[in-house]
Amino acid sequence: MEIPFVVEPRKDTGLNNSKIGIWLFLASEVMLFGGLFSGYIFLRIYADYPWPERTLPVLPGLINTFILIGSSVTVVFAWVSLKLGQWRKFQVYMAITIVCAALFMVLKGIEYNAKFAHQAIRLDDYTVVEGHAHPQGGSHDYHAPKKNFNISAESVQINLSRVDDAYYEVMGKQYADGGMVLASKLTLNDGDVFEKGTAISKELIDQAKVDYLAAAANNSEIDIELGREAWAALKPKFPGKRYYEAVEGSKTLSEVVSAYTKELKKQRKEDYQTTTPNLTFVPNTGSASITVNPYWGKLSNPKEGDKGTLKLKDETLISGVTADSSIALAIDGIDFRHTVMKAEEKGIDPAAAVANSWLLKDEKINKIWKKHELITSKLKVLLEEDDREPTENDIYRINWQEIAGLQETDIADLEAMDYHDILALYPGDIEGFAGPDHKKIHYPEVIVPREQVRFESVFSPRWNTYYATYFTITGLHGLHVIAGALVLAYYLFFGRKMFEQRPEWLANRVEVGGLFWHFVDLVWIFLFPILYLM
Amino acid sequence: MSDNHDNHDDHHDHHNPGFIQKYIFSTDHKTIGLQYGLTAMLFLLFGFYLMMVMRWSIAYPNEPLPAWMSWLFTEDWKAQWLTEGKLPGETYNMFGAMHGTIMVFLGIVPLGFGAFGNYVTPLQIGAPDMAFPKLNMVSYYLYLIGGIMMCGSFFMESGAAKSGWTNYPPLSFFADAQYPHQFWTGQTQWLMGLVMLISSSLLGSVNFITTIINLRAKGMTWMRLPFFVWAMLVTGFLLLLSFPPLEVAGIMQVVDRMFGSSFFQPSGLYHQQIGLADASGGGSPLLYQHLFWFLGHPEVYVLLLPAIACVAEIIPVNTRRPIWGYKSMVYGVLVLGFLSFIVWAHHMYMTGMGPAISTFFQTTTTLISIPSVILLTCLLISLWGGSIKFTPPMMWACAFLPMFGIGGLTGLPLAFNLVDLHLHDTYYVIGHFHYVVAPGILFGFFAGIHHWYPKITGRYTSRTLNQLHFWPSLILMNTLFFPMLIQGMAGFHRRWYNGGDAYLTTDPDSANVFGKTIAEYIDLNVMMSWSAWLLCVAQIPFIINIFVSLKMGKKVESDNPWDACSLEWATPTPPGHGNFLEEPVAYRGPYEYARPEVDEDFYAQWRKPVDKTEEG
Amino acid sequence: MADSPEAIKKHIKLYTLIGAVLFVCTLLTVAVAKFEFLDFGQRGFDSVDAIIGLLIATFKATLVALIFMHLNHEKKMVYWLFGMGLFFAFCLMAIFAFAFSDPIEFQAFFGR
Repeated sequence: MEIPFVVEPRKDTGLNNSKIGIWLFLASEVMLFGGLFSGYIFLRIYADYPWPERTLPVLPGLINTFILIGSSVTVVFAWVSLKLGQWRKFQVYMAITIVCAALFMVLKGIEYNAKFAHQAIRLDDYTVVEGHAHPQGGSHDYHAPKKNFNISAESVQINLSRVDDAYYEVMGKQYADGGMVLASKLTLNDGDVFEKGTAISKELIDQAKVDYLAAAANNSEIDIELGREAWAALKPKFPGKRYYEAVEGSKTLSEVVSAYTKELKKQRKEDYQTTTPNLTFVPNTGSASITVNPYWGKLSNPKEGDKGTLKLKDETLISGVTADSSIALAIDGIDFRHTVMKAEEKGIDPAAAVANSWLLKDEKINKIWKKHELITSKLKVLLEEDDREPTENDIYRINWQEIAGLQETDIADLEAMDYHDILALYPGDIEGFAGPDHKKIHYPEVIVPREQVRFESVFSPRWNTYYATYFTITGLHGLHVIAGALVLAYYLFFGRKMFEQRPEWLANRVEVGGLFWHFVDLVWIFLFPILYLM
Repeated sequence: MSDNHDNHDDHHDHHNPGFIQKYIFSTDHKTIGLQYGLTAMLFLLFGFYLMMVMRWSIAYPNEPLPAWMSWLFTEDWKAQWLTEGKLPGETYNMFGAMHGTIMVFLGIVPLGFGAFGNYVTPLQIGAPDMAFPKLNMVSYYLYLIGGIMMCGSFFMESGAAKSGWTNYPPLSFFADAQYPHQFWTGQTQWLMGLVMLISSSLLGSVNFITTIINLRAKGMTWMRLPFFVWAMLVTGFLLLLSFPPLEVAGIMQVVDRMFGSSFFQPSGLYHQQIGLADASGGGSPLLYQHLFWFLGHPEVYVLLLPAIACVAEIIPVNTRRPIWGYKSMVYGVLVLGFLSFIVWAHHMYMTGMGPAISTFFQTTTTLISIPSVILLTCLLISLWGGSIKFTPPMMWACAFLPMFGIGGLTGLPLAFNLVDLHLHDTYYVIGHFHYVVAPGILFGFFAGIHHWYPKITGRYTSRTLNQLHFWPSLILMNTLFFPMLIQGMAGFHRRWYNGGDAYLTTDPDSANVFGKTIAEYIDLNVMMSWSAWLLCVAQIPFIINIFVSLKMGKKVESDNPWDACSLEWATPTPPGHGNFLEEPVAYRGPYEYARPEVDEDFYAQWRKPVDKTEEG
Repeated sequence: MADSPEAIKKHIKLYTLIGAVLFVCTLLTVAVAKFEFLDFGQRGFDSVDAIIGLLIATFKATLVALIFMHLNHEKKMVYWLFGMGLFFAFCLMAIFAFAFSDPIEFQAFFGR
C-alpha cells in the first residue's frame, strides 16, 4: 500500500496531507511567537526600569516591512504562474522573492551591526549614557581594548582543576611579558621538581594539573575504601542502631565511625599523595600590568590605585593594584529617567537628583543639559496650547539628534529661536540610518571611571530586557526568513523536473511553502509596530 | 501525470533496503516505533540508576556509596563529585535534575507517544504508514541527539544540569555560571537538548495529527476510532500547542546564558558566593515559570494519555465486552485536553503571583478532575460483568486502575491554594506524581508491551516471568511511594539531599522543634530506599522476558491471538512494509464483543457484515 | 478546490490591490507614530497609540491571512486547526498580562 492523499485531497476533509501538516505547523508557530509576545507583554508591563520607547531607527524597519510585503505578493504570483503552467514567470517571481529575503537579512545585519558597535553605561546614580567607546588610555589604535579591566599584578594564583586554556592563550603572553615566575618550590608526585623562580608556561601548568588530578583521584579512592571499611567494621557492633543514634555515651554512630576512619587514615598515611590545587606566580620585579576582558571576571576594587583582586571565571586570582580601567565614551545619548525613577522611590526631588548627578559635573555635558532644559521649557509652552504636556522622554532624555544638531549653536541663539526652528536643526532619518554616525559627527567625550560604572554593555541582548526581547524575536524571525527562503529556493532551482512530471504536486508544494512565507510576513507585520513604534 | 507517478513509486517498492535503511535510518513507522521504545527503555533504566544512587544518600547520608552503586563512575569523576564516597548536595542536585528530565522527557514521553503511538496508531486506523515517513525518522533522530546532549553533559567539567528538572532561574542562571565557556556546560547543554526534544515532538505531533485526520481507512469514521487513537490525537495537540512556549523559555534561557541577557533575572540579583549578578536585571523568574508550566501541565497528560489509552484497549479484549461509555470517554478526553491548557499555574501558588490568577487556576484545576474521573470510572465499570481473563497485559491493566486512582486523588488537595501552602515542595508532591507516573503510567505501558508483543514478534511473553515481575513490582511500588505521602505531610522537603539529616534532633528543648518530627519519620527513608533497590531487581524478569520470549516464547496461533476487534490485528504477523495485505475497511466500532450476530464472541472491525442491513 | 485557472486569473488583480493596501497601511502606522497632529491620546506613546497601532497591524495581518493564505475559502478543518493555535496563544498573552493582578488593587495593570 502507498501513502494516499499526498497530492489529491481526501474527500471528507477536502485536504491533502501537506496542507494539514503545514497548518498544524503554523498553529504551533503561532504558539511560538505567542509565547515570545507574551514574554514581551509581561516584561514591559512589569518592568522596573524606564522602558526604552521608540528608540530604534524606524527607516530600516520600514523598508524591511515593504520588502517583506512585496515578497509576499510575488510569492503568490509565483504560485499563480505555476497553476497557469507558466514556468518562466514562476522563475522570475520566485527569484524576486528570494532576492527580497536576502535584502531583508542584509538590512537586518546592518541594523544589528550598528547596535553591537554602540556602547551604553548605567552609571552608579542610574544615569544612562550611550555612545561609542574609545580605546583606553587615549590610544589612537582603533583595535586597542576599549573597556578592559587593567591591574598591575603582584601575584597570580591559578586553580589547577579549573584553569582554562582559552583564557591562558590570551593571558599567558601577558604573564610572560610581566616575567611571572613560580612563587615557591613545587614538588610533584611523579618526582619532578620545579624550583622557585621557574618561569610560567603552559607546559608547567598542564603537568601540574595532570599531577594534581591524579593525586586527587588516588586520595579519594582511598578515602572511599576506608570509609566503607569503617562502616563495615562498626555497624555490626551496634545492631539496630542508625547513624544518628547515640552508641557510646553521647557519641552517635556516625561520630564513632568518623573517629575510626580517622584512625584508619593515619595508618594509610604513606598511600596518600600530596595535592597542590593552586599554583602561585609572582612577577620577577615589582608588578606586571595585566589587561583582561571585563566579562571574564570581577574586580573587587574598581577604583584606580586601590589594592584589590581580579577574579576570573576559571578561578584565577590576580592580586595587585587596580590600574586605569575607565571607559572613554563619545556620548550621543543621555537618559535621566532611571535616575528620576530611583529618586522618586526614595522620595528625593527628581530635579535635584538630576542636577547632582555625576555626569552633569562635566562642563560639556552640563552645557548640553542646559540647552535641553531650554528646549523642554519651550516645548512645554507650546504643548500647553493644546492642553498637553511633555513626556518623561521629552524631559529627561537627550537623543543623538539633539546633541549632533545643536553642537554648533550657542545657548543664547537657541533662546531666540522657535521650538520648530530648533527641530529643523536636527539631522534627518537618512543621516542616521541605523543610528548615530560617529565618523561624520564628533560627539563630546567623557571619561567614565570604573567605579562609576554600575552596568555596561553594547546594545546587545545584555543591555536590558527590551533589547533582549528585540534580538531574540527578530533573530528567531530572521531564522524563519532564512529557512523559508531556502525552501523556496529549492523549488526554484530543483523544481524543473517535477514541474514537467507532476506540475500539480509542485504547485501544491509551492503553495505550502508560500503559506509559511506569508506567515513569516504576518509575524513581521506585528513585530514592526511593536518593536519600532511603541 | 498519474501514470508517471505510479511508475515512480513502483520503482521504489522493488528496491530492497539494506540493513542500515531497514533498521537504522528506517522510515517505516513500526521500526521507528521500536527504535523509540528501546531507546526510551534504556533511558528509563539510566534514570532509575540515578535515583538508586540518590536514595542511598537519603537513607544513609553518612555512609560512602557501596561499590555496586559507584561502579559506573570513573576515578576522576569520583574525585570531583563525591566527598569521601558520599554524595554532596551539588551532585545530588545534578542526579535529581537529570533523573526527572530523563524520566519525563527521554523516557515516558518517547515510550508512550513515540513508541506506542508510532507502532499502533497507523495500524489501528488502517493506514499504510505515517503521513510523513521521513519527518518521522527525523523526529526520532532529533530525540536521540537531544538525549545524548543532555546525558553526555555528565562528562563535562561542569557536570550535568543541576537545577531540578524544571530548571528554574535564577537558580539555573547561577548554576555553572562560573564556567568560562557557557556552551560547554551541563546547564546550556540541557537547554539545547531540550530545544532538540521539543523540535522532535513538534514534528512528531504534526505527523500524528495529519495521519489521524487524513489516513483513516475506508469506513473508519470518527466514532469508530479506537479510544487509543483519540488519546493519541489529543496528545498530539497537547504537544503541538504547549511545547512552543517552553521552546521560547529554553531559547530565552540560552540567550540569558550565552549573551548575558536578563529575561529571568530580577534587578539586584545577588548570590552568596558570586556576589551581585553581572546582569542588567529587569526580568522576572515568574515569566519562566509561566512559560515552563504552560508546557509542564499539558505534559502530564502527554505522559498519561498513552498509558490510559493502552489500558482502554486491553480491558475490552480481556473482559470480552465492549468498553463502557465509549462516547463519554471520547468527549472526556477532548475536554481533558482542552482544560489541561488552562490549569498550569497551580504549580506556582508559592511564587507570589496575583491572587486573581491563583483563584482562576484553582477553579480550572478542580474542574479538570471531572474528565479524569470520567475516564477512570468508565474503565472501572468496563470490568463489571465481564468474563475477565487474567492474561499478562490484563494483570498490569487491572493494577493500573487503583494505582492511578491513588495518584490522581492525592493530587486533589494540591489543587487548593491554601492546602498547597503546606504541601508545596514536600515529599507529598513527590509521592503524588510518582504514584501517577510509576505504578500508574508505567504499569499501563507494561500492559501495552505485553499486549502488542505477539503482534510485533509473533510470540507470547512468558507468563511465569511476568508473575515474577508483576507481584514484586506492585508491592514495592507501594512501599516506595506511600511513605512519601506520610513524610510529605510531616513536612519533609523534596530536595533534602541527606534525607533530613541536617534537621535531625530528638531534643525537645531544641530551637529546631521541627527536628523532632523529622526524627519520628526519618526511618521511613530506609524502607523506601530498600524498596527502590529491590524494585530494580524486580525488573530483571521483565528484561529477560522480552529478550528470551523473542526466541523461546509460545508462538501465536493466528494473526489475532487475543481475539480482538481493532484493525491492528488484521495485519500479518509481524506486519510488513505497508502494513495491510489488502486495503482494510472498517465496518463497525472497535469494541464489538459478545455480539449476537456472530458465533464468536467478537465481531472484528474488518469482518464483512453477516447482516446486509448493517453495511455502511 | 476552487483554484481553477480561470478563477485564479481573476484573483491576480485582487492580489495586487491587497499588496497596495498593505503598503499604505504600513505608511499609516508610521505616520500615526511620527506626526504630532496624528498623535491621539497623551503626547508620546500611550495606550491609545498602542491600540491604534495594533488595530492597523491586525487589519493587515487579517488581509494577509484571508487573501494571500486563502483563508477566505478554506476547508472547515483548517479553521479548527489554526483557530486552536490562535485561541491558546491569546489565552497565554492575556494571562501573562494579568500575572500579578490582585482584585483588591487592580492598578498593577490599569494604573500604568
